[in-house]
Amino acid sequence: MKRLIIRPTECVHCRNCELACSYYHAGAPTPVGPHVIEVRAVQSVPVPLTCLQCDDAACVRACPVEAITRDEGTHALVVNNRCIGCKACVYACPFGAMYFWDEAHTALKCDLCGGDPTCARFCPTDALTWA
Amino acid sequence: MSFTMTINGRRVTADEGETVLAVCQRVGVAVPTLCHHEAVEPFGSCRLCMIEVTKTAWKGWKGLMTACLYPAAPDLIIETDSERVRHVRRNVLDLLLARCPESEVIQELAAAHGVSQSSFTPRDNPDLCILCGLCVRVCESAVTAAIATVNRGHERMIGTPWGGPPPDCIGCTACAEVCPTGHITFDEQDGRRRIWGRELEMVRCQTCATPFITIAERDFLLANRHLDATYFAECPSCKRQKMAAKFAEVVHATHPGFVPRQLGAVPPPAPGAIKQRRATP
Repeated sequence: MKRLIIRPTECVHCRNCELACSYYHAGAPTPVGPHVIEVRAVQSVPVPLTCLQCDDAACVRACPVEAITRDEGTHALVVNNRCIGCKACVYACPFGAMYFWDEAHTALKCDLCGGDPTCARFCPTDALTWA
Repeated sequence: MSFTMTINGRRVTADEGETVLAVCQRVGVAVPTLCHHEAVEPFGSCRLCMIEVTKTAWKGWKGLMTACLYPAAPDLIIETDSERVRHVRRNVLDLLLARCPESEVIQELAAAHGVSQSSFTPRDNPDLCILCGLCVRVCESAVTAAIATVNRGHERMIGTPWGGPPPDCIGCTACAEVCPTGHITFDEQDGRRRIWGRELEMVRCQTCATPFITIAERDFLLANRHLDATYFAECPSCKRQKMAAKFAEVVHATHPGFVPRQLGAVPPPAPGAIKQRRATP
């Protein structure tokens, strides 16, 4: 099983991953576009943060309409078109990894791009790898 | 059990239990709809997804049906863009335009179907509600059934118990998010969210004091969804910061004297990896 590996030690805080993510998910490569990966620098360590794809996920528990399901191929939790926009998952996620896309009225989370994460492809270093 | 049927002359496979609209959306045939949502049962209230249905055995009889409610069946022949379908959709949009002349969604849909102006008299004091009832169905099936359709006939409207602030509303704003025309609105000010005439106190993030969820919604989630109360102590942004701090802690523990890499620190490409530009003669 392939995994998205995050190595903060390699990150150069270029935020290419954020742009690539918003281009893949919303078709708009803008820094303010909806993206589900975010680089946060804490104690001078830049950390690319994204969904950890929990086994017993709080977002799945919080969702009233079963809009977040496990993809059989990538084992990622994916938001489907049943989302009603109640944002329960956004507030329930203990890691703050759930996002809300206002224009599309739907929750947005890392779905590993269906098995080829765009953020890893655009990462200039080894901070994000799909292996 | 899967079977085949025909949509606009194209053979498609469908499964038992699917609706015609679901099949159309799966195979990429555009059918306009306003009141359909995957999270709730089909309702057929906007009447926009009208299609023409027939079978060879029906000897030329063709029925006009709503695609969202019509079950897929073997050997069905579906037309989603025939003259009759376009005509009835124009009628529906003509009526919707008279009801909600100010709705941009309706205006765009109507224009796309060749209706620039309603032939009916627009209603007095129009709002953006098309009475599709999607908000009511979503609230009923997923949240607390705080709102309902009230009254009959032309007095029918989306309402709250006795017209007052709905006591069951938890202020999740799902009704506003699913509303196809943007009729339902809410606003937030000073840590209070106002929706349906109700004012709900919000939880403030214990780190940055930003209000992010109503107390009623948090209590509803804690009571019904088996979640830890600590998940709702901070706003999503502060939780993200906390997770980043955890990563940073590990980095500093495993890499003493860690200095973050700079873009210039990426090793230069090996000699010969980049082609030299040929000198122009």
